[in-house]
Amino acid sequence: MGCCAVIRAFCSIFLLEFRRFFRSKAFALLIIASTAWMILLPFILKSDGTAEGAREIYMRYSLGGVFALSAIALASSAASSLAREREEKRLQLSMIRPVSLAYLALARIAALVFIGAITLFVSSSILAFKTRGTWRNCWHVLDPVLESASEEAEKEYARYMADPDLPEEIRKSDKAVLIRLLTRHAFERYEAIPPGGKGGWIFDAAKFSSRPLAVRIRFTNDYNIRDDVKGVFSFGSLKGEIDNITQAIAKIPLDKKINREESSSLREGQLDFENLGKNSLMLRPRRDINLLAEADSFAFNLIRANLELIAILASLISLAMFLGAGLGRSVAVFTCITFMFVAVASSDIISECPDPLESDKVDKMSLAITRAVDFVARPINSLRPLAALSLDECVETKEVVKVTIVDILLLPLLFSLLSAFVIAHKEDGV
Amino acid sequence: MDQDNNQNKQEVVVSLSDISKTFRDFWLRPTVKAVDRLNLNVKRGEIFGLLGPNGSGKSTTIKMILGLLKPGSGEIRLFGKAPTSAEARAKLGYLPELSYLHPFMTARETLDYYAGLCSLPKKIAKERSNELLEMTGLQEAADRPVGGFSKGMARRVALASSLIGKPELLVLDEPTSGLDPVSTDEVKTLIKTLAKGGMTILMSSHLLADAQDVCSSFMILNHGKTVAEGRVGQINGDLGAFFLSKVGEGRDFKIAPFLCVETVPGGAK
Repeated sequence: MGCCAVIRAFCSIFLLEFRRFFRSKAFALLIIASTAWMILLPFILKSDGTAEGAREIYMRYSLGGVFALSAIALASSAASSLAREREEKRLQLSMIRPVSLAYLALARIAALVFIGAITLFVSSSILAFKTRGTWRNCWHVLDPVLESASEEAEKEYARYMADPDLPEEIRKSDKAVLIRLLTRHAFERYEAIPPGGKGGWIFDAAKFSSRPLAVRIRFTNDYNIRDDVKGVFSFGSLKGEIDNITQAIAKIPLDKKINREESSSLREGQLDFENLGKNSLMLRPRRDINLLAEADSFAFNLIRANLELIAILASLISLAMFLGAGLGRSVAVFTCITFMFVAVASSDIISECPDPLESDKVDKMSLAITRAVDFVARPINSLRPLAALSLDECVETKEVVKVTIVDILLLPLLFSLLSAFVIAHKEDGV
Repeated sequence: MDQDNNQNKQEVVVSLSDISKTFRDFWLRPTVKAVDRLNLNVKRGEIFGLLGPNGSGKSTTIKMILGLLKPGSGEIRLFGKAPTSAEARAKLGYLPELSYLHPFMTARETLDYYAGLCSLPKKIAKERSNELLEMTGLQEAADRPVGGFSKGMARRVALASSLIGKPELLVLDEPTSGLDPVSTDEVKTLIKTLAKGGMTILMSSHLLADAQDVCSSFMILNHGKTVAEGRVGQINGDLGAFFLSKVGEGRDFKIAPFLCVETVPGGAK
């Protein structure tokens, strides 16, 4: 079959699936519910009372709600698409044509992803229109250059094991469990900077040297400590002052105007903090401090965030199509929706669950299963682009390209091939 | 020229050699042997009738010819190729026993869809759609969703869909099922006309009178095995009577005793 013939066949199947969804009540309901959610959300959300807080919540939950609606509607539709065609024997009529079965699945996935893209585009347009007065440039987020939490955990583990006073119960514990606990500990490790003292963290900001920079510091620790903080951040010749924080997250622009004469004493690439307050500053370097470099406009960031959301939708739709092919319509729809709910809840379950060292076998097993679901469903669970939008963080182009290749190209192709394999075997009565 | 035509006529379009098919359950235990060592050859331009009672293996045989089922043993060739090959499928048309249409699509969209699957260029697809809609008398209903069509109209859309790719082999499963006498007659005329034009037709039917009217050759299956085959013209008399003589033997139909009503004056007991 030539290239044109392949495209013509693809378009026919794409149109069939598009019409099926477009002419069903599901499409009308999805568009009405999404639009209503986008318009009504500002009237029903409760923020911390500040305009900033309201904006952050609106950014996160407006598109987040639309994504959830789209995911449920499109995954259900994908799960029933091939399955219903097969159950109602219509698929046979397409299967006897000179078109591969994987192609039939792939074009259907493409059509549903396209519908998801339309829904997100409409919602994003409403979001952009409603927030047009508050558009701000987004920022690249840089983490301090530190050894990874797991590397630190490995070293800590070796040190523990070399300690002759280590209790026998811990020495006999599963290494993987201990490493996991130590990794978490390393990630959460606090660093204290006493009054009058200095702290420093290395950042690799060479490629952003010509852009405006800022420091972001978080105070969202477990105790919600928001003590008064006073001090000066320095990065090369750039400086920024911080005084009396009331926000959970503070962004301090680094500017050349302040204390220029002191800059010669500071190293390039190292962010220093001089604590001029009365209290010690406690922060976790792996979580609480970032160097920000100005990126591009909100509009470009919104487009990149949408692309990443569409990619996540594509992976969900592909999985649902495969489940539908293998399990049948109703079981697949149920499995898909359950998977999404577990995916959303898994990280909370894991963080709230008792420590594996102190729990019984059933708890350990359940936690292991939840961890597995969390690992598989991490992209759906974290919805990183929405968090980035709400915090004015740049959705990195490199990440978008990676997610697009994996979720929009590779996963649909893989699940289409698997769906074709399963259906061919089912048709054959195996 | 005549020699070429004769050679074409002798070309075997469908060939089944020692085909068997056993269905199995989830644990791969055999449940039923649907087809047992079947041999069949259909030549170009022939109208071949696959006849048999319910459960005789007709549908399984047709599904294997269409490449929807794999035979357990034996070999199937369509135009000398495997039935699942794109080359064979490009020359294939199929009308199932029930129409199986997408209810949300119009008749025209349905034809466009199958034309797309046959990779026909848009212009040719449009021309053929119009011609087929005219042939099946559906021009006026062409832009209505087929979900609202009567059984007969849906059947005509399905027939048009099976012909959109201009197949060289047309497989018809109960082609006249659900049609009124006038439409039945039209379909029979159409089948004969298509065969005269060189199309090979393989049809299964329960309506033996219809089969006798249109088929040139036939095969009767029972319990997955061939019980009779030959040319329709060679049968002395009625195909129906011949059929019953082949598959009715040994069958003893008894009415359930409780259904036997004893008639007494004043009503039934």
